[in-house]
Order: sequence, then C-alpha cells, then structure tokens
Amino acid sequence: MRRMSVFPQHGRALGNLGLSANEIQQEVENKTSELVSDLVNLSARARFQAIRSLPMAFDERKRMRNRVNSVKHSKTIIPANCRQQVSRSFRRFRAGLASAHRYLTIWHDTLKDIGGRFGTSVLSYFLFLKWLLKFNLFSLIINFCFITIPQIVHAPNISSVTGFRGLELLTGVGHFNQTVLYYGGYNGEVIASKPVYNMQLAYFFTIAAYLVLCGVSLIYSMSRSFQKNFVLETGPVSGGAWRLLCSWDFSVVNEKAIQYNKNNLAVQLKESLSERLQEKDKMSLSDRIKHLSLNILAWLISLGLAVGCSAGIYFLGTDQELAFSFNHNPNDLTAEASTLLLPVVVSLINLIVPLLYSLISKMESYSNPRAKIYIIIVRNIVLKMSILGILCSYWLNIVPEKVSCWESFVGQSVYRLLIFDFIFCLFGIFYGEFLLNVIGTTCIQSLGVPEFDIARNVLDLIYAQTLAWIGIYFSPLLPVIQVLKLFIIFYLKKISLSMNCQPPKHSGRAAQIQTVFIALLFFPSFVGALSMVSFTVWSLKPSDECGPFQGLDTPFHTIFNWTASIQGPPETNWVWWIFENVLRSELFYYLISLIILVITYFLWQITQGRKQLIKILRQQIVNEGKDKAFLLNKMQNLQKQRRESVSYSPQDYDQTPHFNPNWMNTLPLDM
Amino acid sequence: MGNKQTIFTDEQLDAYQDCTFFTRKEILRLHGRYHELAPHLVPMDYTNDPDVKVPLALIVNMPELKENPFRNRIVESFSEDGQGNLSFNDFVDMFSVLSEMAPRELKAIYAFKIYDFNVDNYICKEDLEKTLNKLTKEELTPEEVNLVCEKAIEEADLDGDNKLSFADFENMITRAPDFLSTFHIRI
Repeated sequence: MRRMSVFPQHGRALGNLGLSANEIQQEVENKTSELVSDLVNLSARARFQAIRSLPMAFDERKRMRNRVNSVKHSKTIIPANCRQQVSRSFRRFRAGLASAHRYLTIWHDTLKDIGGRFGTSVLSYFLFLKWLLKFNLFSLIINFCFITIPQIVHAPNISSVTGFRGLELLTGVGHFNQTVLYYGGYNGEVIASKPVYNMQLAYFFTIAAYLVLCGVSLIYSMSRSFQKNFVLETGPVSGGAWRLLCSWDFSVVNEKAIQYNKNNLAVQLKESLSERLQEKDKMSLSDRIKHLSLNILAWLISLGLAVGCSAGIYFLGTDQELAFSFNHNPNDLTAEASTLLLPVVVSLINLIVPLLYSLISKMESYSNPRAKIYIIIVRNIVLKMSILGILCSYWLNIVPEKVSCWESFVGQSVYRLLIFDFIFCLFGIFYGEFLLNVIGTTCIQSLGVPEFDIARNVLDLIYAQTLAWIGIYFSPLLPVIQVLKLFIIFYLKKISLSMNCQPPKHSGRAAQIQTVFIALLFFPSFVGALSMVSFTVWSLKPSDECGPFQGLDTPFHTIFNWTASIQGPPETNWVWWIFENVLRSELFYYLISLIILVITYFLWQITQGRKQLIKILRQQIVNEGKDKAFLLNKMQNLQKQRRESVSYSPQDYDQTPHFNPNWMNTLPLDM
Repeated sequence: MGNKQTIFTDEQLDAYQDCTFFTRKEILRLHGRYHELAPHLVPMDYTNDPDVKVPLALIVNMPELKENPFRNRIVESFSEDGQGNLSFNDFVDMFSVLSEMAPRELKAIYAFKIYDFNVDNYICKEDLEKTLNKLTKEELTPEEVNLVCEKAIEEADLDGDNKLSFADFENMITRAPDFLSTFHIRI
C-alpha cells in the first residue's frame, strides 16, 4: 500500500532538489492519483481502514475520501442520489454496530481509570480476568439453557434428603446434594415433548461443544498474541533505545504514577548502563559454579516442595475416615465439616508455597530479570498442576469404587475447592496486601508499599479456571460460582490496588508475558481439564444410581446408541456411514496427521525463507543509507562548484536547474 | 435513529466517522470536551465549519494531557501551524491517532514527530537528550545522559548517519510489541 510522504514539508523537500513549483505540484498530483486508484481497488472495509490510517491532516483525508467516493460511484450504474442514500445508510449501519459493540463492554470506565493510574501491565491482569469471565458466562448460559431448564421443567424432581442448613454453602452437600447443581441431579430419560429431547445426548453434546469452542478460542488468541509479540523479535533488542523511546506509557495520567514511572525509568537506565560497564569483566569460574549450584539447589527445593505437597494431599484424600464417613450418614454435621479439611489444606498450600518460592528466588541471582520471572512462573505452575494432577488421579481411580454416586462427589469436591480458593483469596487481599501496606508504611519502613505481583495473581486465576473447566462435566452449574467469584474479585482487587499497592517496578515486556499467560491457560490448564473429562467420558463406567448416563458402559456409548438408532431410516443413513467408517477408523486419523505434518513442514520452510529475506532487507536499508549519504555529498559538492563558477544573470535566477554543458571550462585552472 | 443534535450536519458526522477511528457519539462527546476547554471561543454550532483554534496553553490543561511529559510536543505535532493551536479537526485527529484502534504504522509516524524536537525529520542526539531529560528530570548526571543517548543511537541507527531517520525508528518500533498499547491516551 503506497504511502504519501510523511512530512508536511513535502514540497520543500522536493524543492531542495532544485525543482520548480510547477514540477512539485505535478509530482504531488501524480502521487495523489496513484493513491486514489490504489484505494479504489480495495474492498470496502480495507478502504475505510486505509483512509483512516493515512498520515495526513484531517482536511486532506476528507478530500481524499471524497475523491475516492466519487471515483467509486462513477463506476456503478445506479443513479446518483439512490447510490448515495444506500451507501450512506450502509455506512451508518456499520458504524451503529461498532458503537453498540462498544456499549456492551462492561467496566470500560473502570478499566480506563486503572490503566490511567497504574499503567498497562497491571491493566493486563484485569483484562485477563474479564476474558475469563466471558468464558464462564458463556458456559453458564448454554448449560442453563440446554441442560438445566429441560431437567427442571420436564423431568421429575428428586427431592433432597435434608433441609437447608448454612453449611451447604461451604461444603456443597446436604441440601444441594441431589439438586441440578450436580451431575446426580440429572437423569437421562428422553423427554417426550413434541420434538423428542434426549437428555443424554443434550448433556454430552453441550459439554463437548463448549469445550471445543473454548479450545478453538484459546488457540486463536494464543496464535494471534504470539504472532504480534514474539515473531518480529529478531536481532538484538532491549537496551537504552527502546526503553527510552518505545516504553513510556502515555496512558498514565495520575501525577504520582508518572513520577513513579520516571523514577523506574531512571533506575532501569542506570542499571543497564552499569551492566554495560561491567560486561567487560567476566565472572570468574568459582563465581559461576557458585551461581549454578545455587540455582540447582533452588530448583531441587522447589520441586521437593511440590512433590511433598502432592503426596500430603494424596494421603489426606485417601484417608478413609475423613473422606468417606459422611457418605454413610448424611445428617452427621461433623463428618460433613471434616470434608472441608482437604480444600483448606490445598488452599493453604497454594497461598504459602508461592511465597516460599519467591523467598528462595531472592537468594539466587539471574543475569536477566526476565528469566527470573519466567522461572518463578514455571515453578508455580509445576506446583499447582501437580496438586491438580494428584487430585484428578485420585478422583478418577479411587473414588469410583468407593462412592455410589461418584460424579456428584467429584462435583462437590470441586465446588469446595473453588469456594475455599475464593475465601483464601479474600484473606490474601486483606492480610496480604492491606496488612503488609500498614506494616510497610508504619512499622518497618524498609519494606515499603507492597508491589502488585501480576504473575502470582494471574496464576491464581489460571488455577481457578482449571478447576472450573474440570468441574463442568460433574457439576453443570458450577460456572455460577466462578462468575460470581470473578465479579467480586475484580472489584476487591481494584479497591485493594488503589489503597494498598503500587505498580510493579519491572514492567517491561508486558506483551510477551501476556502471551505466556495465554499459552499457560491453554497448555497445562485447558488441555489438562479436557483430557480429564475425555478420559471420564471415554473409559470410565458411570455410576448406576444417578446421573444421565446410568446403565451405560461408558458415557460415550450414548453416541453409539444414537448412531445405531439413526442407521435405519435412509435419510440419516449417511450420518451413520460417516461416523462408522470415517470417524471411527484409524486410517482416517493417520492420514490427517500425515497431511498436517507435511503442511507444518512447508510452513516452517516458508518462515525460514522469510527470515532470510528480513536479514537481506535490513542490510539493504544500511546500504541505502550509505548511498544516500554519498549522493548528498556529491550533490553538495556539485552545487558548490556551480555556485562558484556560474555568474548570476537576472533571467537565470529561477529554480529550474540550469545545466551548463561547459562546466568543465569554468573550473579554476589550478585544480 | 432520530438525532436531535444541531452541532454537526449529517454529512460532517459521516465524514468524521469515515476519516477517524471514532463513532458519532464519540465525536459529539469530543466536541463537548473541546468546547469546555474554551467555552467563549468554541461555538456550539459547527455546521458551517467555523475557523476556530484553541491555543496550546488551554489544551495542555486537559486532565488527559496535564501530567504527560510530552504534552507540548504532542499538541504541536498535530497542529497545522506547528505552534500548538488546534482546530477541532486537529483535536479529533490527535485523539484518533492516540486511540487504541489506530494501527502501528500511523502511531509510529506521529511518535517520530513527537520525539523530533527540532523538527528536522531526524531524531538526533539533542532530541534524545531532551527526551531523556523530560523523562527522568534530575535523576541522571550529564555524563550518564550522554552515554545513554550515544548507546541509543548506536543501537538503533541502521544507515550510519548518527541520527535516527524515520526508517530506523520504525524498525525499532516493530521490535517493541508493547508500543501499540503504551502509545495510547484514553479519552
């Protein structure tokens, strides 16, 4: 897409080359008509985007737009005012849609305020929270519409064994036990309404469709974010220039925050200067060995902690008296309360061990502050995912034999874990941030105001979302809890931020860390939850007394039953044929994998080629610069000679270049 | 949709929508903000395109710009006369480029203009020193300022003329993915 020259002194720049006013105008007019013809050939949406992105003043852009519109309209055969009416109403409709979409975004003013006071990196935490909220809201809506409402309306209500006591909110059992909150509250009969509604298929397909959509959305966001933030990073980056010119946050409007950012920038520049001076002396061998051994020790301690915590949770979970005693007597309050022990222990671990990790990391030293953040993130993720892994294996291997309605049991466990995660988050906000602030400002001045630790908070969000995804199969209305939780946490964190915290000091590379978080949400979190649900659906025997899949071998057998039922009538036979011969045959998957591998290889080769091209083009820029310097130099010499040699006469005093063919004769003789 | 506003004609609003990244409502809101900067200077009726410019001193008092270290340069870069007196079209232009929907290339062009203090189409060492002083005040000693600017030019200068041309600057911007989100003023 050709661009008009950037600078307003366009004409003056050309004038320096010695062209006349007419020629300059001709040149500008040529460029304008080329631009107009380029614009006319684009699609409507691309054209509007291109017009908006033209780097000219508003009036020139308006003129350009009018010219493009008139050219465009002259090419169609519809009469003039009709054309204008149609195009104008179409444009207004499109603009109306855009503004309606912006109305639907909640919290717009709050986010603007947060960004203005704390900068973009802290804002990214809140945007992440909003994004997770959208996932959960969507899940809630489809689960409620497709599964819960038919169950409530048509199927018989399974009455609860006990009345409502306050403890249910924490433990999830008791009054909630047989309601539609859990898997056990649904039964899989075919509702005999006008179009026959098969509850089994509805349950299966709703959950499957939601998980597939989540996966697609995550992959799309991840790849877009990766492309924007990682791909262009070739060559040496970081250092004074980009920090100075590209990283100043213009969106911060609060005076104190700006002062804070200025201090940060000064500190970072001083650090990078001193690093540069110190680069000269390499670290001695003993120093390097010391650093390496400290790193290894820290890793061993962290992994040991993670393994220890997982083992502890495993033993706690399989303790016979604690976990299963309440099952035999639903009215026993103490037994019910004892089920709370496991979630409390898990939440305590999630609160305390990351603090230990950050203490451990203080004793190590890293060459790169970014490496430090990544290592902390990896350790925390290992801890959280190992805890979840142990819990999942316990739920899938041991629980089905012990408990009668085991899916509801799992749903209740997930419910308890989520509730306690929320409660401990509240504790963390109050005791962690508020008290630390009070201590830091009054008692121990050296601690200072606590920093808002983005990595830890985002990892907490990812952990909670993993739980929510695991729990969707076992408790379809679990997203209600998650939605309420996210709402409350948003406002509490915002208040806590304003009162207690200050923005993080090293906020560079926020965009890359964003990509890492989205990737983490996809890879251990979503993939783990998906594999657990898939394993349950594919190979575990559903419980016999409750739930929509009673009596089947595995929940996946509903699909087999359904395809068998549609095998008969000829008009649906093709569905059965596709299912039986394509989706169930292994050859199909081998072929698909092979094709995908080949395509990946081709794309990788194209990427390599493009990297080469970028390198060559960069070299070309350098060469162009040298050429330009050389030509400018030569032209200046020529002009100097021309001025010294040619005598001015009135008719020569215009701006047209006056090439004197006898210039060689006019050189001073002693040259 | 019935629009009872008499500030702009429909054609004007269409032109604003087509040529900037704002919607009708946002344009009207921007007009409100522009008007409250100088209520006796800015007419409420813009249907006949009055030629009114609000001076620099009033614009840099907006809450969005008041604390920004580059407020003067920002307003000067978007003004036609280079002195910082903005007409309404320039005002809308400024916030349109600084909004989150403007593409990276457009923002890079104006960021270059802002950092180019002496308006010679190059960011030379003096420009960088002025930028650094605005961003850090008295924190760095003059030797450190000198070192930082030299290092910055060394890193970013591709064509070897000891100053940053627009191509050098744009090259550096493409390697800074945060730029799109940090070069952004919300209104």
